[in-house]
Amino acid sequence: MEFRELLKAPGPVILDGGMGTMLQAKGLRLGEHPELAALDHPDWLLDIHRAYVEAGTQILCANTFGANREKLKRTGRTVEEVIPPSITIAKEAAAGRALVALDLGPIGQLLEPTGTLDFETAVDIFAQEVRSAVSAGADLVMVETMTDLQECRAALLAVKENCDLPVIVSMTYEERGRTFLGHSPASAALTLEGMGADAIGINCSLGPREMPALVEELARWTTLPISVKPNAGLPDPGGAGYDITAEEFAEAMAQLTELGVKCYGGCCGTTPEYIAKLCRALEGRTIREIPRSVPAAVCSPVCVVPIDRVRVIGERINPTGKKRMKEALLRDDVDYMLGQALEQTQAGADILDVNVGLPEIDEPSMMVKVVKALQGVTDAPLQLDSTRPEVLEKALRVYCGKAIVNSVNGDEEVLDAILPLVKKYGAAVVGLTLDKNGIPKTALDRLDIARRILNRALNYGIRREDVYIDCLTLTVSAEQAAASQTLEALARVKKELGLKTVLGVSNISFGLPARPLVNQNFLTMAMTKGLDLPIINPNLEAMMAAVRCYHLLMNIDTDARDYIAAYANAAVSTSITTGAGQAPSAAPAGERTLEQVVIAGLKGEAGPAARRLLETEEPMAVVDGVLIPALDRVGADFEAGKVFLPQLIQAAGAAQAAFEVIREGLSAQPGGGSVSKAPIVLATVKGDIHDIGKNIVKVLLENYGYPVIDLGKDVEPAAVVEAAQKHAAPLVGLSALMTTTLGSMEETIRLLRAENVPCKVVVGGAVLTADYAKKIGADFYAKDAKESVDVARRVIG
Amino acid sequence: MPITLTQLNTAEVLRYMGCPPEKADGALMAQVEDCARELLGAVRPRWSWRPVEISFEACGVRLENGLLLPGEDLKAHLSGCGRAALFCATLGAEADALIRRAERLDMGRALTLDCCASAAVEEVCDQIEGELQGKFPGCSFPFRYSPGYGDLPLEVQGPLLDLLDAPRRAGLCATANHLLTPRKSVTAILGVSSGEIEKKNRSCLGCPAQGSCQYRKAGGHCGIS
Repeated sequence: MEFRELLKAPGPVILDGGMGTMLQAKGLRLGEHPELAALDHPDWLLDIHRAYVEAGTQILCANTFGANREKLKRTGRTVEEVIPPSITIAKEAAAGRALVALDLGPIGQLLEPTGTLDFETAVDIFAQEVRSAVSAGADLVMVETMTDLQECRAALLAVKENCDLPVIVSMTYEERGRTFLGHSPASAALTLEGMGADAIGINCSLGPREMPALVEELARWTTLPISVKPNAGLPDPGGAGYDITAEEFAEAMAQLTELGVKCYGGCCGTTPEYIAKLCRALEGRTIREIPRSVPAAVCSPVCVVPIDRVRVIGERINPTGKKRMKEALLRDDVDYMLGQALEQTQAGADILDVNVGLPEIDEPSMMVKVVKALQGVTDAPLQLDSTRPEVLEKALRVYCGKAIVNSVNGDEEVLDAILPLVKKYGAAVVGLTLDKNGIPKTALDRLDIARRILNRALNYGIRREDVYIDCLTLTVSAEQAAASQTLEALARVKKELGLKTVLGVSNISFGLPARPLVNQNFLTMAMTKGLDLPIINPNLEAMMAAVRCYHLLMNIDTDARDYIAAYANAAVSTSITTGAGQAPSAAPAGERTLEQVVIAGLKGEAGPAARRLLETEEPMAVVDGVLIPALDRVGADFEAGKVFLPQLIQAAGAAQAAFEVIREGLSAQPGGGSVSKAPIVLATVKGDIHDIGKNIVKVLLENYGYPVIDLGKDVEPAAVVEAAQKHAAPLVGLSALMTTTLGSMEETIRLLRAENVPCKVVVGGAVLTADYAKKIGADFYAKDAKESVDVARRVIG
Repeated sequence: MPITLTQLNTAEVLRYMGCPPEKADGALMAQVEDCARELLGAVRPRWSWRPVEISFEACGVRLENGLLLPGEDLKAHLSGCGRAALFCATLGAEADALIRRAERLDMGRALTLDCCASAAVEEVCDQIEGELQGKFPGCSFPFRYSPGYGDLPLEVQGPLLDLLDAPRRAGLCATANHLLTPRKSVTAILGVSSGEIEKKNRSCLGCPAQGSCQYRKAGGHCGIS
């Protein structure tokens, strides 16, 4: 019987048990590579697999757990040499009585952002294993012992893109119910079901007695069959033993039938005896059928956001109408976007919209860069916002979790281009109620389009719960009758189609005075009609207040907990027309000057102090006359050993806050002025991941008005050359912390010279010296962040 | 044997930050305290160890599984030891995430968190070392030694992690360039000698402050061994 039929048939599916323990019992020595057993000890493998088949195993995992090209590097063998014989031996042992799975374990290196392995490289590593196993006749794939949902996604994509074999995906959790990386069963369930796994589960780490809570969490978030392969109890951190017997194991596993678990096996420490006793314990037990339905929800690897109340989508990461964001995009300044993300989540956004569409930039690669960087700093799920299918696909590939795609509309071509992507990557999708003919005037016509979008999505296999409809806000100053149509359409979509609804709120007030008044009231009206996902600026307190009040008044905020938490100690301004997030300062610290504030490193006071000064001074005069001299003074004290690195950085932080205010002042001037000097490219070299020093340098350079193109860490030499050329940077700064990566630094400088990039190079980092800097061809050596600024002044001015 | 951290040595954190502890003002001390609290609340130290027999060869120290730890320095360091306890420890990905997030909001805080994490992983290693020493009663131990010290290359990180089953037991891996991830992690070799051995100071080898150390820059030493 094929695996998919086994899953549909009544009764349990029996998997196998541990392989490592069995190989050691056969005589595998410590330090010997277990994945080479098919070549070195085929008879051992045959025996072990046969023992599992005799014990009742229906699915044998071939001995391929670590047979990826990265792990095999140390053995001198290739994937193609190891996987086919491993599968063949398992098939021989199965002799038609069991199916054989390609076993895919972790690559052995962590993916970004915790590690350095790139997602597409991971997909490629798994794909090679999958192709090799398919050629050898594997019946299914078992992805297991994963601690990173992103690595699971890479493996699952590799399977889906290279064969039609069924696939079980299983992760390993700690006792707190999370993986080492903090990823949750709920996120795994939502994400992996969306991407087309056939079964999902739990293996390794814990014993069978620890399984129920994990199984219950999975079951809440998936309709797929659940697979469980625990260890023989809990391990001792130093020893090799596990703490429960085969009888105890079997008994605890049999209890899991009550929770509806479908596939049963064992991991570390389990043997054919465990599986035989497990089979006996399962005999005559029926698997309880528990009807499951998964609510509408999106997620990141650590955070599930069910759409069970109003969830705020932050709109700020979008260049439309935002000069500062445009500037950041043109300058590859991803940090600015990360700051915007954190500001919005702190203000209460549940989900963040991400739109990086500017005609001048390479939108697909920018989208990938921003999505990866955002997922490194925020746990909020993302809404990927673009009209271009190729941008959406790239973003969906690297997004870890269940995202929202913003958007499709009723146009057939758009639906056919984007819905398959939504399905493949398991996302939710926003459907705009417009089509080739534009936005229909009436609610009824918009409802029709919504219905059309829903039907197409269902045809593509997308769940109804994953279709969110946007009935489109029109500007009320242009079309006053339109707002009521939008609200009516929204109410009918909700009631007649039963779909979740999205609405960009802020457009409503365009062209009117006191816009926040209109926005807030429109938001409240829309929520009462059933709006689930307002796209708003969460930094505007009036908007978040409307959402909190709605939850309070509709009895969603139980016991008014959220409301009280937000306002119990707050002096709420009853005037909502002052709007903008940064309320004008009451200036309690009033009399400290900007210079004093910067020298003292008082970040919170720096913005207000700059604002006061701007009332009387020109922005550039504040920069040249106050900020830079203050920074210079701190820098001189640092050099003299009067203040130390922490104080230098605090001062830099304060100056940075002042700078943001000055920048606003400049943008407001006619012609939009700029504080910018020539840009500097910074990178921590290839192979090195210690970049805090470089990040400190960046802050300081920015304070002195140098735009910094920060390429991050582990940067390829070619990427440094490309950035220096693209931005015509007269200065490139390179950092390395390890002696082992000084070679990459030298290589980067060599390439800059070979490509005739007209730039100077400054280097720094713990292990560098002035002599060594000279030896590898750098123009300057900076021993600390302050010296980097001195170098920049010499080179750029 | 879970490791729990309850406090950090703030003087050590300040030294890692490049600030002599006696020069720290109240605001800085408060920031260190606050960051230490945040870090300790977020991290989950994990570790794994195993005992190994060792032998000495012309080009380095050979572990019983066949792995060669090359170089002269470790050989000299372990002289007199017939066994060693290998161990690895990590603060986990949470520490990295915390620092990464802080870097986008407040660089001063990020530096403080980073240095707190360095102090924390040292503290974890001290605790592990204490526990391991207890498993070899009557033995003496040279200070723990890590890849990257002296002439012991970082290339041995991968094989050491394999021996310790570190990816599965502690979620600890090495990059293609042999750096440990999560970043606040250590692998170490603790020599075990059944006889007396010469006491050596750990000196600046492997100190997280090396490179930014004010004492070293001034040609001195902080006094910690």
